[in-house]
Amino acid sequence: MAMLEVENIHSYYGNIHALKGISLTVEEGEIVTLIGGNGAGKTTTLRSITGILKPRQGHVRLEGEELAPYKPHQIVYKGVAMVPEGRRIFARLSVSENLDMGAYSRNSKSEIKADLERVFELFPRLKERRNQVGGTLSGGEQQMLATGRALMAHPRLLLMDEPSMGLAPVLVESIFEKITEINKEGTTILLVEQNALMALSIANRGYVLQTGEIILHDTAEALRTNEVVRKAYLGIT
Amino acid sequence: MNVRLASREGLLTGFINLCCILLGLTGLAGTMVGGWFHLSSRQPGAWLLLLGIAVWGGVRAVRRVPDPSRNKTLIAGLVAGVMHGLTLAVSLWLISTLLDAGAEVRKWLVQLTPEAIRLLTFGLSPVAAAALMFVVMTTAGLVGALWVRASERYPWQRTLSKGPTTVRTRFLALPAVQNFMQRKHSQQILWGGGLLILLFFPFVLGQYWNYTLGTVGIYVILGLGLNIVVGFAGLLDLGYVAFFAIGAYIVAILTAPAPHGIMMNFWLVVPIGIVLAALAGVLLGIPVLRMRGDYLAIVTLGFGEIIRILSKSDALTDFTGGPRGIRSVGGPGLFGFDVSSEFYFMYIIILGIVLAAYVTLHLQQSRVGRAWMAMREDEDVAQAVGIYTLQYKLLAFATGAALAGFSGVIFASRNKFTGPEDFTLLVSINVLCLVIIGGMGSIPGVVAGALVLKGLPEILRQLADYRMLAFGALLILMMIVRPEGLWPSTRRQMELHERAEQSGEPDAGSSPETGP
Ligand SMILES: Nc1ncnc2c1ncn2[C@@H]1O[C@H](COP(=O)(O)OP(=O)(O)OP(=O)(O)O)[C@@H](O)[C@H]1O
Ligand SMILES: [Mg+2]
Repeated sequence: MAMLEVENIHSYYGNIHALKGISLTVEEGEIVTLIGGNGAGKTTTLRSITGILKPRQGHVRLEGEELAPYKPHQIVYKGVAMVPEGRRIFARLSVSENLDMGAYSRNSKSEIKADLERVFELFPRLKERRNQVGGTLSGGEQQMLATGRALMAHPRLLLMDEPSMGLAPVLVESIFEKITEINKEGTTILLVEQNALMALSIANRGYVLQTGEIILHDTAEALRTNEVVRKAYLGIT
Repeated sequence: MNVRLASREGLLTGFINLCCILLGLTGLAGTMVGGWFHLSSRQPGAWLLLLGIAVWGGVRAVRRVPDPSRNKTLIAGLVAGVMHGLTLAVSLWLISTLLDAGAEVRKWLVQLTPEAIRLLTFGLSPVAAAALMFVVMTTAGLVGALWVRASERYPWQRTLSKGPTTVRTRFLALPAVQNFMQRKHSQQILWGGGLLILLFFPFVLGQYWNYTLGTVGIYVILGLGLNIVVGFAGLLDLGYVAFFAIGAYIVAILTAPAPHGIMMNFWLVVPIGIVLAALAGVLLGIPVLRMRGDYLAIVTLGFGEIIRILSKSDALTDFTGGPRGIRSVGGPGLFGFDVSSEFYFMYIIILGIVLAAYVTLHLQQSRVGRAWMAMREDEDVAQAVGIYTLQYKLLAFATGAALAGFSGVIFASRNKFTGPEDFTLLVSINVLCLVIIGGMGSIPGVVAGALVLKGLPEILRQLADYRMLAFGALLILMMIVRPEGLWPSTRRQMELHERAEQSGEPDAGSSPETGP
């Protein structure tokens, strides 16, 4: 059974038909990437999965269970966490408090502590800065924090919305390394990116989204050599 | 170069001083200070203001000096003082000469009465008065310069502006205090001691102060409630008065002989008022809390007005007494004794504050408080970490409403009356102001804010017509000097200062008391 199964969803913002029948699956242990240009509907797809936006048609299933009846906060309890677009850390809370908020859905103090250790191991920088106010972190540190916060929910499925946005190439590389590492430790990842080349280099499979529709779907390797992708998203002719 | 800047400061502040004289503010200061200290003369107050502005001019001039070596500071102060003195001396000479010549200066400048002039001249001749003014103002400029130097050596000025906070930290650092705090039941002892002192208060205060401070106390409870809604949960509610009104009308309807004659026992009505107000909070909350920010503010504002207008509408006159309100609202009794005087109400109010503060503190430190904090910061992300925001918003709304209802019950019962004009928009605004002035999200801040907002107008009573003007000016001044509020929560203080000190070391704001 797939970790995540999105079947033919249609989502709207008022009258705007933002998703026109999207289907995708993410198997357990995979990194799947969703690439596409501005306004293609990538963020909307993630919002439809987390329940902030309810699709008018179609199904979203987590390990076979229909998510439609659940409210956004309940879906977190089901094991889905998100690193939102633009990071959106709690700017006025300290790093530790941010991480603490990430574990809001959990009860076991010892498990939370273990996960905190894990996050600090993954991002030692966060440990150094744990008393600093979130808003004063650099862009790269904020991305680490947003990722760490999502990990504190101990998700089985991690949704990431453009983690490379606005970061210097060196930082992008290190963030993507961390994503691979998180995945190796057993978290399934759905990665939304505009930086198609980087995303395809760490993903197992990829979907290409254009104006609310999936136009291509293949293994990451195949997509990297695909003509359309190369032209449209990799800037290679 | 510096001389020019310094003389400009001197001229500017001299002009301000002159304006104060011409507008009668100097005389007003005399009246006020005279009233406070029961002096027969207005001179001390008037000169206090005059000198204060001159000293300020000296301070400003010195601040302009880029390299404050000893001599340069003094020169700057001197220059400012001279210019300030010249401005005033010349004007004073001119005015008194004109007056002596019989000119009708008062046609344009109503405040320039002979008495007002005598305040400044001590009855001397124009030239002598001008000379005196010059000498005194020059000295004042120098004093300003010395003041800056002194305050640089001993940073007490900073202590003053960070006042309460610094005093508290210093106090907590005392060895004796530290020892005490480490004892087992220190918290309980402190609370108990504080409560005991509070219980003695009503004995010491006269009827007038029991009434005035009782009003302050009612606003403290209101403030604690709104603090939950605005300070903790970040929901801007401008119709908070509605729940206050609901509490007041419930006690009125259930205990007054007319229009219904139910005449229930006051103590039974208290829980009814609290529960119904909380219920109203939830009922209003369900449709309204899906809105955000400014929309929420406007809708709640509308709700507040609707409740007031309903209470005085013709349709409901039989039920609420209409525009004339309800009289003879019942007061509390205890074992057959009537305990509804201001004196006894003070106890009820103190008890109410203690309970409200306890509930607030408890909520703040629990999981609920954490959820509110996340929501206030970013509602979407709060949802994304698993917080059911609607539920916590409703909880904030209901708790706030319950406290407002409670204070409404006390308010109407203490006044033995309730009517629609007690519940205007101004009440909501006042409560919001006191929460902000005290320091959003801070429990002691609410107490400080209520004391200032409701207590200060009492102290300023002698100012009569100028009372609200002075009050407004003081509020503005307070927000400039202490934007984080009088007694901010450690968190909020950190938030505001972090912006100023962003470039500081990475561990800024990591004081041990920071945690929630
Ligand atoms: N709140 C909203 N109200 C109305 N329309 C919206 C809203 N959010 C997104 N849209 C529209 O839906 C479409 C898809 O937007 P979406 O944010 O999903 O794009 P995206 O692929 O994430 O783009 P980007 O890479 O720029 O983040 C766009 O046409 C956008 O204008
Ligand atoms: Mg997007």
